[in-house]
Amino acid sequence: MSIIPSTDWALQTLEQWGERAGTLFQNRIRLGVTGLRRSGKTVFVTSVIDNLLRAGRLPFLDVIAEGRYQAARLEAHPRHDVPRFAFEQHLSALTGPVPAWPEPTRGLGQIRLLIRFQPHSPLRRRVQRQSTLVLDIVDYPGEWLLDLPLLTRDFATWSAETLALADRPPRAALAAPWRQALAAVSPTGPADETVMRQLADAYTDYLHACRRSEAGLTLLQPGRFIEPGDLAGAPLLVFCPLPPPAGEVLRPSLYATMAERFEAYKDAVVGRFFRDHFAGLDRQIVLVDLLGAMTRGSPAVSDTAVALTTALEAFRHGRGYWLERLIGVSRIDRVLFAATKADHLAVDQHDDLAHLLGGFVADARNAIRFAGASVETMAIAAVKSTVSVQSPHLGRTLSCVRGTPLGRTAPTVLYPGALPARLVPPYIDTGTVRFLDFQPPPGLGDDGRGLSHIRLDRALQFLLGDVLT
Amino acid sequence: MSGRQSGASAGGTVDRDDPIGPVEFDVDAAQPLVFDGDDAAAADVATPPPPSPGRRWAVRGVVGGGVLLVLTALGFDVADLLARAFATSIALGTAAAVVTAGAAIGLVVLLADEVRSLARLRTMDRLRDVGALAMNSAGGRVGRDYAAAITGLYRDRGDVATALERWRGSVGDAHDDRELVMLIDRVVLADLDRRAEALVLRAARDAAIASMLSPAAVIDVAVMLWRTVRVIRQIAALYGVRPGYIGSVRLFRHMMGNLAVAGLAETGHHMAIEALGGTLAAAVSTKVGQALLNGLLTARIGIAAMHQCRPLAFNADNRPSLAGIRRALLTVPRDIL
Repeated sequence: MSIIPSTDWALQTLEQWGERAGTLFQNRIRLGVTGLRRSGKTVFVTSVIDNLLRAGRLPFLDVIAEGRYQAARLEAHPRHDVPRFAFEQHLSALTGPVPAWPEPTRGLGQIRLLIRFQPHSPLRRRVQRQSTLVLDIVDYPGEWLLDLPLLTRDFATWSAETLALADRPPRAALAAPWRQALAAVSPTGPADETVMRQLADAYTDYLHACRRSEAGLTLLQPGRFIEPGDLAGAPLLVFCPLPPPAGEVLRPSLYATMAERFEAYKDAVVGRFFRDHFAGLDRQIVLVDLLGAMTRGSPAVSDTAVALTTALEAFRHGRGYWLERLIGVSRIDRVLFAATKADHLAVDQHDDLAHLLGGFVADARNAIRFAGASVETMAIAAVKSTVSVQSPHLGRTLSCVRGTPLGRTAPTVLYPGALPARLVPPYIDTGTVRFLDFQPPPGLGDDGRGLSHIRLDRALQFLLGDVLT
Repeated sequence: MSGRQSGASAGGTVDRDDPIGPVEFDVDAAQPLVFDGDDAAAADVATPPPPSPGRRWAVRGVVGGGVLLVLTALGFDVADLLARAFATSIALGTAAAVVTAGAAIGLVVLLADEVRSLARLRTMDRLRDVGALAMNSAGGRVGRDYAAAITGLYRDRGDVATALERWRGSVGDAHDDRELVMLIDRVVLADLDRRAEALVLRAARDAAIASMLSPAAVIDVAVMLWRTVRVIRQIAALYGVRPGYIGSVRLFRHMMGNLAVAGLAETGHHMAIEALGGTLAAAVSTKVGQALLNGLLTARIGIAAMHQCRPLAFNADNRPSLAGIRRALLTVPRDIL
C-alpha cells in the first residue's frame, strides 16, 4: 500500500522533469489570455485557433506573409484532468444559421495547438527542415482572475479592503442586507455553521447584486462565490469578510474559522489555479472591454481600472533565463494590452481607442515595462461584426459602422460619437458617445479563410512573431 | 493629441473641436468604404509642394532661354533653307519641307515621351511622400488614396497582377492608413524588391565576371558602364518608372546624390567587411579582387536605383543590403574557376 504513493510521486516528478527538459528544446508557448468577465476571452481564443488553423486572414503575421507557414492542428493536451476548450462548439455558435456569441464561460478549458513552419534563417533550416511551435491556451471565467490578488493578502487585510469598498457608492446600497446580517453577529462569537452559511449567502447575494447592477461591477472577490465551478456548496466557500474583532480571537470563534477557510481557499483553490495555469505563462494578452465599461458609466470604468491593476499584480513579468525555465519557473516577457470590440468603431477611431487604452492602463504598463517585459497597446476585434461605412451628416462625411445590433433584426448604421482623448472622471458625460453591441454577422467564416477580425494578426505577430522565426 | 487630430481630419471625417453626438443612420444612405481603385487620378493626392528656391528658377531661366534662342535660330535657318530649296525647284522644296515636318514631328513625339517619363519619375517622388504621410496617419483616407494610386500604377502589369490579387484578398475595411501602406509594402512591393535584388545581383555578377575575364582595362570599363546603365533602366521599369533619356539622366543624377547617402547609410561596417573581403580575395588574385570590387560598385548603384524608383521608402527591416550580394559575389570565382 505504502509503495503506491511513492511510485506515483516518482513517476510524477519524472514526468515533470521530462516536460521541463522538453520545454528547453521545444518551442512551447503558454499564452495567457487575461481579461475580466465579458471582455471576450472565449471569442478571442476561438478566433485565434480558427485563424491559425485556416491561415487565410493573417497578412501581418510574418511567418505567413513570408510563406514559411505550413499548417497547424489541434492536439490532445497531455493534462487529462482539465476539460478541453470547447472550440468546435463555440465556433459553430458563431458561424451557425443563427449566429450568436458564446455563452459565458463557467469553468476551465484548455487547448493545445501545434504550428508547423519553416525556420527563417537558412542555417537553422539546414539543421531542421521544419519547426513546431506548441501553443497552449487556457480559457476560464473572468471572475476567477480576481482571486489572484488574494494570494498576497491575509484575511484581516482583505476584509478591511472589501468592507471599505462596500462602504462607497454604488456598492453601499447593494451591501445593505449583508451589512445588516454582519451587524447581527459578533466575530468573536461561536463558529456556528448555520450562521456562517447565512453570512456567506448574504455576501454572495451582494456580489451577484454588484454584478447585475447597472454599472456591471467587476471587482468581485472571491471569484468562486459567483462562478463556483466544481466547488458549489463546499465548506471552502463558506466565509465572508468580517470587521476586525474587538477582543482576543479564540480558536473556535467565528472569526478564526472564517480566517482559516479563507486561507484554505487561497491555498487549495487560488494557489492551485495560479500554479497550474498562470505560473508558467510565457506571453500574455490582457483584453479590456473599454467601450463596454464606458457605456456602463463612471463607476464601471474606475472599477475596471482597479480590478485590472490588482489582477495583474500576481503575474511575474520580465526577461526569463533558461535556467529558470529548467526548474519550471517562467516569466512573461511580452504583454499585449488589447482594447477589444474595436469593430464598434469605424476604422479612423481605432487609433484613438488604442491611445485611450494606453492612458487607461498606463500604470500597469509602466510597471511591466520596468520589470523588463515588452508591452504594446492595440485596438482589436477577435471577430469583426461590423463594416466601416461613410454617411453624410450635416454637410460632413462621418465614418460609421454598419451591423445588426443585438436584439434587432435589421442592420443599422451607427456613428458612435468621438472618443474622449483621455479617461478622466466623470468618464463619460452622457450623450457624447453611444456604443451598440452587435450580433456576429451572418455567413461568418464562410469563405474558409478563418473568422474575419480586426488586427488579430498584428496581435499574434507581437505575441508569437519572435518564436515563429 | 494634435497628431491624432490631424490624422482624423486628414481622413476628412470629423474634428474634435465640434463634436457630433452619436447618430444612427438609414442603412441605404451609407457608402461602403471602398477603394476608388485603379483610378490613376487618385495619384494626385494632396502633397506638400517641394520647396523651390530662387536659384532653381534662375537656372531654369538660363537653360530655357538658351534652348529658345537656339530653337529660334534653328527656325530661321530652316525657313531660309526651305526658301532656297523652293527657289531652286518645287520638287526640292517639297522634299525639304517633308523632311523638316518629319523631323519636327519626331522631335515633338520624343519630347512628349520625355515629359511623360519625367512625370512618372515625379509621381514616384510624390508617392513616396504620400506613403510616408500615410504611415504617420491614423485615419482611413490617405492610405486608401495611396493604395488606389499604387494599384493604378501597376494596373496594366501582368507580372504584378498576382501580387495585387493577393493584396486585394488580404485588405479589409478595418485597416487604417498605416496598415494599408504596410500591406502594400509587404505584399506588392516586397515581390518587386525580390526581383529588383535579383536584377542587381545579376548585374553585379556580370560586371565582376567581365572584369575578371577581360584582357584590357578599357573593356572592363565599357562593360561595367553598359551593365550599370542597363540595370538602372531595368529596375526603373520594374517599379513602373520606365524612364526616357532625360529621365535616365535625371535618375542618374538623383542616384549619384543618393549613392553617397545610401553608401553611408549602409554604415561603415559593411564597407569594412567589403574591404576585408576584397583584400582576402585580392590576396588570392588582384584580378579577382578588382573584379569583386567592380561587381560591388555595380550592385551599389543598382541598390541606389532601387531607393530612387520605389514608390515607398524602404524601412529598417526591408532595406536592401549589400551583404547578401557580397556573399553571392564571393561564390563567383568558385563558379568560374
